[in-house]
Amino acid sequence: MITTKKITKKYGDFTALDQLSLNVKPGEIYCLLGANGAGKSTTINLVLGFINPTSGEALINGKSVFKNNIETKKDIAYIPENLMLYPTLTAMENLDYFSGIGGQKLKKDQLESLLIQSGLQPEAFYKRTNAFSKGMRQKVGIAIAIAKQAKALLLDEPTSGLDPKASNEFGELLQELKGNGVATLMATHDLFRAKEIATHIGIMKSGKLKQQFTASDISLPQLEKAYLDTMNYKELAK
Amino acid sequence: MKNTLIKELKELFRDGRIRLAGGIVILLLGMAVWISSSQYHKIKQQNKISEAHERENWEDQGEKNPHSAAHYGTYAFKPQYPLGFLDKGIEKYAGTSVFMEAHKRNEAQFSPVIDQTGLARFGELSPDFILLFIIPLLIILMGYNSFTKERELGTVSLLKSQGVKSNNILFGKWLSLFLPIIAITLLLFLIAGILLSGLEGFGWGSLFLLLLVYWIYYAVFINITLLTSRLSKSSSIALVVMLSVWIVSCLVVPKATGNIADSKYPYPTRQQFTTSVLVDKEKGLDGHNPWSKEAKKLEQQTLAKYKVDSLAQLPFNYDAFRMQKGEEHEAKVYQKHYQKLRDQFAGQASTYRSLSILSPFLPARFLSMGISRTDYHSHWDFEDATENYRIITQKFLNDNFAKNSSYGDWGYKVDSSFWKDLPKFNYEHPSLNKVLEQQLFSLVILMGWLLISFLLLLTVKNKI
Repeated sequence: MITTKKITKKYGDFTALDQLSLNVKPGEIYCLLGANGAGKSTTINLVLGFINPTSGEALINGKSVFKNNIETKKDIAYIPENLMLYPTLTAMENLDYFSGIGGQKLKKDQLESLLIQSGLQPEAFYKRTNAFSKGMRQKVGIAIAIAKQAKALLLDEPTSGLDPKASNEFGELLQELKGNGVATLMATHDLFRAKEIATHIGIMKSGKLKQQFTASDISLPQLEKAYLDTMNYKELAK
Repeated sequence: MKNTLIKELKELFRDGRIRLAGGIVILLLGMAVWISSSQYHKIKQQNKISEAHERENWEDQGEKNPHSAAHYGTYAFKPQYPLGFLDKGIEKYAGTSVFMEAHKRNEAQFSPVIDQTGLARFGELSPDFILLFIIPLLIILMGYNSFTKERELGTVSLLKSQGVKSNNILFGKWLSLFLPIIAITLLLFLIAGILLSGLEGFGWGSLFLLLLVYWIYYAVFINITLLTSRLSKSSSIALVVMLSVWIVSCLVVPKATGNIADSKYPYPTRQQFTTSVLVDKEKGLDGHNPWSKEAKKLEQQTLAKYKVDSLAQLPFNYDAFRMQKGEEHEAKVYQKHYQKLRDQFAGQASTYRSLSILSPFLPARFLSMGISRTDYHSHWDFEDATENYRIITQKFLNDNFAKNSSYGDWGYKVDSSFWKDLPKFNYEHPSLNKVLEQQLFSLVILMGWLLISFLLLLTVKNKI
């Protein structure tokens, strides 16, 4: 569903992403781990078609993202690290707008149902989002993603800054989407959350995919050690 | 597109700055319409009274020599075109009435500005001021951050990920700026139409065309504003750029163009003009001077033509005949010198037209004044009409004098009922077709601005 084939992104002499190949099938959650600058967000942006690759290609449902930019986006839902909404619009209005331009014309009760599903408190539905916390905004973002009924979900550090409860709820939601056959590619720093929700885990460093695991084959301590080894944090790994 | 339009409109109407600015514009427009409307009706009433009074004076001259009546003269009053209440154009500076007398073409006098103090320099609150200067500012305020806000708020990535075509977002944003402006101006023009519909000379076609011109002008400003917002890195930069565009387009270019046009095609001073006319007049026949070389020449020609030995044998009063010939010579002299002024104006107008590519304000301004019949073309049309009427009047009087009296009979007087036979001065403003013919270039330039700004907006690389 989400495929990258030897995708490379260079900025001058700097290689942000180096020949990355991965494949996320329907019903899989692939977590990309790595330090800042490892190339996780670059990968997400390339798959989204926000930036063009230097070489290689990204495919959604078998279609090239760069050749079919608008068409492939219809199959993608995206939640950025710091999801921002229109502050003068209410949560309902934001959801209505984003789902509307995404091609979904939803009724009021459907919009409310999506916000309930995303975990947003009902009393916040009709409030302007200018006073929303990051967690509340992320929940609206989740509702937007669910509304799109996308086959591929791209998440860039979605739980960063969320409180443990919100982060846990988010994990549960991903599991639900996984059950619905959605392919998820998620960039994160959170090893614990990755181990908990992912089906596959990849560790990136300097634009390269250094290690890949099936989540069920590795324990959290093993994953932690592998991560620290990859990052060359030898003292910490001991 | 519809989703973006609704979203943008909600954002606009929830923005206190826009609500305040929009409210001020509507209030100013309301005040301008009220002030302008009351002034219009006041002047119209004054014209009506003056016209009736002047005609009464003319008809009540009693028994009098026709040439004395020619010197007594009469006034023609410039009727206001109904749309002049929306755009006063040059009306404030151009005269409102012309004194028509024998031997002399007078310019329109009693311009409204001479009745005002130095405070007139500050200008006045009129609908055209709001339409041409203030509404573009409102557009800038509404749209300068249309695209930059998406980047600054951080909504751009979510927006881009939805798979919406950037042009759909663009058209939604474009319409969200255009629709409120349409609503405000449509309301204003409808009120104007209702207020003016009963008046003589009013045409809905002209009103609608005027509205269309303003809509094109606003569309250009919307295009430039959105283009700037699309290309700018931040809202503050976009605002500064757009305010600079407004200052250059609406203030600097028109004033600089005026200076350039005036230096390239200067008008003669009034003294120079009067002297030139006098010199040319003296070269020809003076109807009052029977001893001049030209008068003697005419005398010989007339005697030869009618095969008589003396002026007394002519079948008409030769004094009146000479007077009429003098009038005809003077009319030609005036025509020649006024044509020179027109040529200078044509030069100035061509400079304005060339520099219209620097500012959409100029073609919009010219079109607005033209359609409102308050531009120079319209003013000259009125002055030409008064001159034609003056010539007809002089001929009417001189012919009567010539036919009904004999040579040397300066004591001849017409009956007091004679004056009523002179047709009244009846002026009709230039037709809309004629105005469009005169303003074709401005229309082309304004359309050029619209098309080019649209093309730039659609082809700019920095898209959402």
